[in-house]
Amino acid sequence: MPARRLALLGLALFAIAGDGRAQPVESTPKLSAASLYNAGNAYARSGKPGLAVLNYERARLLAPADADIAANLATVRRSAAVYSATPGAVARLLMLASPNFFAWFGLVGVLLTGCGLLGAVSAPRWRRAAYGGMLIGVLGIAVTLADLVVWWPTLHAAVIIRPDTPVRVAPVPMGDSLFALREAEIVRVEAEHEGFFLVRTGSARSGWVAAANLARIVP
Amino acid sequence: MRGVNHRRSETAWLPLASLVLICAAVLITTVGSVARAAAAQSVLSAALAPTQITVGESAELTVKTLGAGLEAVVLPTVPGLELRIVEQTHHLETLHGVALGTTTTRVRVTPQHAGVFTIPDLTPSAQPLILRVSVDDAIGKPPAKTAAAAAAPRVPAGETIHLTADGSAFLRLNLPKREVYVGESVPVEIELGLRPGFVNSLNGLPTLTSADFTLNNLSRQPGRSERVIDGVGFAVLTWHSVLAPVRPGTFTLSVESPITIRQRLRPESEAKLEDQLGDPFMQNLYGKTIKKDIKVASPAVELNVLALPSEGRPAQFSGAVGSFRISSELVSNSAAVGDPLSLRMHVSGSGNFDRVDSAMLEHLAQWKTYPPKSTFTAGDAVGYEGVKSFEQALIASRAGAQSLPPLSFSYFDPIARRYATLTSAPLQVKITPAPGEPSAPVPLTPADADVSGTAAAALAGGLRPDHAVPALGVRSLRPLYLQIPFLAVPAALVLGFAGAAWRLRRPGSRRPSSVAASVRRRRRRERDAVQRALAAGETAAQAGDPAAFCAAARQLIAARLIETGAGETPPLELRALQLIADAQRYAAMPTAAVDWSHWLEALRRAAIEPEAA
Repeated sequence: MPARRLALLGLALFAIAGDGRAQPVESTPKLSAASLYNAGNAYARSGKPGLAVLNYERARLLAPADADIAANLATVRRSAAVYSATPGAVARLLMLASPNFFAWFGLVGVLLTGCGLLGAVSAPRWRRAAYGGMLIGVLGIAVTLADLVVWWPTLHAAVIIRPDTPVRVAPVPMGDSLFALREAEIVRVEAEHEGFFLVRTGSARSGWVAAANLARIVP
Repeated sequence: MRGVNHRRSETAWLPLASLVLICAAVLITTVGSVARAAAAQSVLSAALAPTQITVGESAELTVKTLGAGLEAVVLPTVPGLELRIVEQTHHLETLHGVALGTTTTRVRVTPQHAGVFTIPDLTPSAQPLILRVSVDDAIGKPPAKTAAAAAAPRVPAGETIHLTADGSAFLRLNLPKREVYVGESVPVEIELGLRPGFVNSLNGLPTLTSADFTLNNLSRQPGRSERVIDGVGFAVLTWHSVLAPVRPGTFTLSVESPITIRQRLRPESEAKLEDQLGDPFMQNLYGKTIKKDIKVASPAVELNVLALPSEGRPAQFSGAVGSFRISSELVSNSAAVGDPLSLRMHVSGSGNFDRVDSAMLEHLAQWKTYPPKSTFTAGDAVGYEGVKSFEQALIASRAGAQSLPPLSFSYFDPIARRYATLTSAPLQVKITPAPGEPSAPVPLTPADADVSGTAAAALAGGLRPDHAVPALGVRSLRPLYLQIPFLAVPAALVLGFAGAAWRLRRPGSRRPSSVAASVRRRRRRERDAVQRALAAGETAAQAGDPAAFCAAARQLIAARLIETGAGETPPLELRALQLIADAQRYAAMPTAAVDWSHWLEALRRAAIEPEAA
């Protein structure tokens, strides 16, 4: 009976997952770090630093340790006179692997924790080893959560893709312009309203930007 | 005096009598003043300025006396006047070679009500100081016997003016028509005539006596004029307002206004001369009055209010009744994509402008429209005529020459007694692409990008080369731990582990029902084995096969022993049969002499359940 219930629960979870499946990015059926990196290079050569940074940031999500991506991203940012904060030591350590790697790492952690729990319950003779497995599994889960925290700002960030993008006081085209954003600048998206995004810059200034003027790193 | 008053019919000699009366009054007051002047010899001079004020204002009385103390001036007591010393200054003056100390006293004189007040005993010549106080300019001035009064219009004999019982005031409501529609604005004129000297104050604005009408935009400051009615001058205050009926029907309408009058204590017959004198000073001097609050009302007017017809009512009719014209304009004939453009519509004419409304352009393809704002510019004091302007912000989303559709406005024309819809001309506008924001979307894939940019030439040299694209890839940039299909796996694992751990930690928690079911299944299997062995034995007995019979007998006995329990001793008959079967199997003993039918019966008895047996 419990097995049947678990199967039904699994089916229900997959049914829910089917509704909330993430949409594929743009028209590209399959994305890879190399294809995004090459797209970023193409935009950089064509004088579109905003779109170049966008593609580099997307490539960095899939291959954060790729030195070429980091180098070209820094070059384009320098040329566009846009600067970003340097990540901390823990963040740099976690960025050695992609978020997808840490997702599988966390799954293995769940398996180890579960097996350790079962072992500790059913085989008292191997309880010490079971506890060790549980500890490793919990550590794996914790590392995955830390990786999520590190990448969270990037997951909610957007790149300005047009030069001198006006930031308005209200989400209407006639709203007064507060200031202008440089192309390739990265902002944090906080809200959306009728074709406008409420963004916050690194210097804590915020305002509304037309949706056509920026692109989310993770669409 | 009495003899003169008794001859009312002959009024030609009244001016002569008035002159005599004035001379007598002056004589009396002069004699009295001379007598009192002796007590005020120390007063060098006294002056009052101004001598004519209105209620609420104050005059200043300056008295110069000999001496250096307050006791040098004795302020008189005048009913209705408040005299208060506000400043005293002392000076040393030389008069005819003699040094004299003088005191200048400034006194504030504040009247409590309108009228003519006499301040006696202050001047060296004992001349009284006279202060004239009026409610306002129009009321307080003596109207009669002046050039202005002579030029004032006289009310025609046929015009309906109803004076109050004492003839001190009248109120009149002038309506331009007697048949109106619900919601229609009707300009009205309210005239309040006040006889100077007889009306003390106006205590409020005119109000309607009927709740079926509203009186809007009553002018704050009434117009002032003078009018002679039956030879008596009146100060006339005129208010302009707009009357609006709220429901259909036939109603009587009037207005009323609160005033305070001076009522004579003496009979009217005795006050005729005072009326003829016209001067409030003389009236106060020779006629005693008291104040009385009354409400003066206008004669009732019958008004027929019609309902607006429901036939032919346009969908966009907002309740406007009157006579209107419309026009429209664009603030600019060109704009950029994304920039707001102001569209204006002007509704001018006369009517109830508070009900003039328009949504202008609500939905327009390729345009984003915003609700309009309206402003009203009145053409008269009551807002019956004017221009109401609507301004709407429009934002084009596509470049190119575009045409804005005509605007329309519907109203009810009370003269033509039908609804009317006005339409403006369509407007042309040129929309240019937004500066810095190209109309075409920015390509997000490099296939559409312009790779021949010269600005990037220098940058291209500093870029690292492209990578070889692998065949594998992901369909979403969202990390796996944020994708629900992936999250379902650890969730299911957690649930499975938790369930299994729970089961393992409680091994004795199986339910009795499941144990009983397992026992039943085992017994069913044993009974089936016994029946199968019995069937095999019967078959062997019929076939005369002792080996098969013995094998079936051994199986049946073994199954029965399992069923009944290994520790229980089987019946003697079964033990004998088991011995025969064992001998046949293990010792190959001949079994030809065996009575198979007897042993078959024994086998059948053994197959019966012990409880049933």
